Amino acid sequence: MLLNAVIIVLRETLEAGILMSVLLTISRQSGLGQRWFVVALAMGLVGAGIYARYLGEISLWFDYAGQEVVNAFLQYALYICLVVICLMNGFSAQRASQRNSVMMLGLLMVSVMLASIREGSEIIIFFTGYMSSGEALVKALTSGFVGLMIGGSVGALCYYAIILQKADKVRAIQTGVLTLVAAGMVAQASQLLVQVDWLPSAAALWNTSDYLSESSILGQLAYATFGYEASPTPVEAVLYIVSLLLIPAIFVGVYCYRKKSQSEGSSL
Amino acid sequence: MKTRINLFPKTCRARKQTLSVVKRLALWGVASLWFSVAVSLNAATPEFTLEIKNHLFYPAEIVVPANLKVRLRVINQDDTPEEFESYELNREKVIMGNSQTIIFIGPLAPGEYPFFGEFNVSTAQGKVIAK
Repeated sequence: MLLNAVIIVLRETLEAGILMSVLLTISRQSGLGQRWFVVALAMGLVGAGIYARYLGEISLWFDYAGQEVVNAFLQYALYICLVVICLMNGFSAQRASQRNSVMMLGLLMVSVMLASIREGSEIIIFFTGYMSSGEALVKALTSGFVGLMIGGSVGALCYYAIILQKADKVRAIQTGVLTLVAAGMVAQASQLLVQVDWLPSAAALWNTSDYLSESSILGQLAYATFGYEASPTPVEAVLYIVSLLLIPAIFVGVYCYRKKSQSEGSSL
Repeated sequence: MKTRINLFPKTCRARKQTLSVVKRLALWGVASLWFSVAVSLNAATPEFTLEIKNHLFYPAEIVVPANLKVRLRVINQDDTPEEFESYELNREKVIMGNSQTIIFIGPLAPGEYPFFGEFNVSTAQGKVIAK
């Protein structure tokens, strides 16, 4: 057993697994079925293969910043998709209209594809290192499969934990988890841009690694669910907080607007 | 009941137009300032080289100045890909076989910052020492 292969695959699938499980619960609630998921995942993995194949060339773009810029773009795009999914899911209390459900389906598919391209490409590149020896590759692949199963199980656990809740709670949990995951995406993407000097770097604001190390299992889970970062720089912290507050801010804003227009309507 | 949400009421639109010129100027100002700061800082950024050979880092310890942003040039001499990773430095980057890349680190407080090659954790270990 190659412990390293288990851990690498687990780390990547854990993050994607939690996100995808929440998206699947939304799909179930919106009556969109699960078939789209298989199609989106397959397309995402093909995309991951293509991305991995050309990563060498892409890495050279923008004076060696290509990899980070493309990854950050994927993460920011995913953030936008998740925000829209969150809002659509939060506001469509009644049965969604035909047009809305087509849009929701598209957003869910794009989100799954974006998530699998980034995470999948890293796993594929890892395995290409074992291509020279057939025996080592088989060993790495079987170990990777174990990691995939553990990550998948956590995802499945999340899925059932959400759908088994009472109906009125489900939407709140979905919104909460998606908001956290989405903000984590922004934090990660921003860190990538700091790494290539596209965003200003500065000394870390604080360091909480003594309390919760990023390399620990709990730290990894925290990283996967809300982008836990033990020593964030000011830019990351600010962007994280802004992106975290955006979804609740829109909800509150729309709620106030509705209340106001309702009271205006009744006074007339 | 269905309520329509008007994101841009008419009263806001007029104000938006008068503001837009000021906003645009301010944006250009910030962007050019940022760019010039980035360019001037870049010129003064010291560079350090790290090589990967047989899944080992050379040198395994790099001493960098504390409280200063530095440019790390990582050259992978192996045929296989490697991922430079460090929780302490908050860095993560794939370096394909027989290629090189640039990673900016810091400004770091004085101390030791371990890093590793995620694809070959058992051998590829090193640390950045900020002094």
